[in-house]
Amino acid sequence: MATPILQVRDLHTQFATDHGMVRAVDGVSFDLYPGESLGIVGESGSGKSVTALSILRLVPEPGRITSGEVLYRNNDLLKMSDEDVRDIRGKDIAMIFQDPQSSLNPVLKTGYQIEEAMLAHRQATGQQARDRTIELLRKVRIPAPERRVKDFPHQLSGGMRQRAMIAMGLANAPSILIADEPTTALDVTVQAQILELLGDLNHELGTAIIMITHNMGVVAGLCSRVIVMYAGQIVEQGPVDQIFEQPQHPYTWSLLKSIPRVDALRHERLRSIEGLAPDLLRPPSGCRFHPRCPFRLDKCFTDEPPLVEVKPDQQASCWVTMDRARQEMGADDLIDIRPGAASGVHPGKLI
Amino acid sequence: MATAAAVIARPIEPEQASLWSDAWRRLRKNRLALVATVYLILLVAVALVALVWTPYRMSAVGVAVTYAGPSAAHPLGVDELGRDILSRLMVGAQVSLVVGVGTQILVLVVGVPIGLLAGYYRGWFDTFISFVINVFYGIPDILVAMIMVFLLGPSLTNIIIAIVATRWMDMARLVRGQAMSLREREFVEAGRAAGARPFRMLFGHILPNALGPIIIQATLGIPAAILFEAFLSFLGVGVQPPTPSWGSMANEGVQAIQYAPHMVLFPSIALSLTLMAFNFLGDGLRDALDPRSRR
Repeated sequence: MATPILQVRDLHTQFATDHGMVRAVDGVSFDLYPGESLGIVGESGSGKSVTALSILRLVPEPGRITSGEVLYRNNDLLKMSDEDVRDIRGKDIAMIFQDPQSSLNPVLKTGYQIEEAMLAHRQATGQQARDRTIELLRKVRIPAPERRVKDFPHQLSGGMRQRAMIAMGLANAPSILIADEPTTALDVTVQAQILELLGDLNHELGTAIIMITHNMGVVAGLCSRVIVMYAGQIVEQGPVDQIFEQPQHPYTWSLLKSIPRVDALRHERLRSIEGLAPDLLRPPSGCRFHPRCPFRLDKCFTDEPPLVEVKPDQQASCWVTMDRARQEMGADDLIDIRPGAASGVHPGKLI
Repeated sequence: MATAAAVIARPIEPEQASLWSDAWRRLRKNRLALVATVYLILLVAVALVALVWTPYRMSAVGVAVTYAGPSAAHPLGVDELGRDILSRLMVGAQVSLVVGVGTQILVLVVGVPIGLLAGYYRGWFDTFISFVINVFYGIPDILVAMIMVFLLGPSLTNIIIAIVATRWMDMARLVRGQAMSLREREFVEAGRAAGARPFRMLFGHILPNALGPIIIQATLGIPAAILFEAFLSFLGVGVQPPTPSWGSMANEGVQAIQYAPHMVLFPSIALSLTLMAFNFLGDGLRDALDPRSRR
């Protein structure tokens, strides 16, 4: 395979709070290849957003990246001058946020804000920027872009605003687009449209996408590879198809089990993950998932499992792994939730 | 048929309801603010006319019997040197407007960048600025202004500088507060993620969002500055003779209040009306620009 465009190596980001040090990101490493779409999944507080912000060095106070490397085309973003990082932000690596309502400046015209993204990096002159803005809005499928550029953000619908944000992210043709829960604030139907748009742009423009989400369905629809985060660490990563068919970490398995389905059998209760996400001030000993894990061993209480290859191209950090849990501990089978898999009143394709 | 077709053919243009057009619509509905605006436009016109023409030269003495009350030739009477009061009031309007508007322009130039930087960057600069602001609030403003006028000399420019020295803190503190709350908004984070420089962030994104409160503050600052100048002139440390100021005219009038009450009356009325007009306009702007009072 080609060389990775972005390499994150042993990233640690900590927040100094009044109660102690919160290790929001605790030793995260992954690669992103050109044109790839990578999903980062986890609950609230699992460190997925902080990971994304750390890549662009945008961690808010009192957070601090304490160690690690973020190599963009082999240059460490964490060692660059502020000036150089600012140059990369928005030009090489763009980011879009959860709530398009609050991510657009309410008092400036939408078109101007997109133009500004280009002007800030001296990528175009005034007239070029205006022309390209209309072209970008057309590309993200906003109807009548010539008129929409003159609208203020509050005159656009939620879906249109997020499209405008995506247009802004793509303004300088970045090689990486980081999307931090871009569909969470939108209606379900609009969510699907935005995901489809991101997928198309990924194929058409070859922009690599890092999709931060808590929604396994979003990953299934858009990504080719997925990273599952828990308590600031990666617990499992691999190709989406493989992870959805054969998750090896009990947390991934539980996430997939906890997705509500319209076609679930009536007697089947929705399975939630017991307990709460761990307190990152005092993370649990051993495996961080052990207090909520249905398949834990004695070893899980004391020893931290390393992230190891469990299948070709798939890594998980678990002493048990789901293959063994299924064989020896009677774990249920999973129902495939990927789009195009079973639907209707049938119990679904059992894997 | 033809009319119906024309109606249908017209593309439906959504109304461009920006913050400003919204605010203008609400301001127009506010009678008091509208009357105040008309008065202020007239006042500016009068001050401009006074640049080239006044009924009498404002410093011409003895155009009528001293202390003479209103008459056809001198609608507002004459003062203790026999100078036409209407002519002097017209020139005094120039002084008041220059002081009021000039002060607020300088206050904006000083207060807005300081407030933006302190609120956006926080840290030691903010601590330092907040300390300086509190020190300035602690010293009596009339004392600061009088000492500055004594030291620099009583020219119009120096009076403006003296008033700015006692009035910049309100603006700086307001803008600081605005910047502090706006910096936490997501569009600021999004802007930084897009690689915007701090200068662009501050003046291109944060400032436009704070413009409403800033305009209100500046508008309400104008009458305060005019009053301050009138007060300084009343005390004799303001604009120096022969240039008339409403404050110094009132001072001269007070000495003659028992036999020529018109001398204190007319400058005071002009001053009061102008102060009221600016205050009503400021209040009107506050209602129009405040999103919570949106109707």
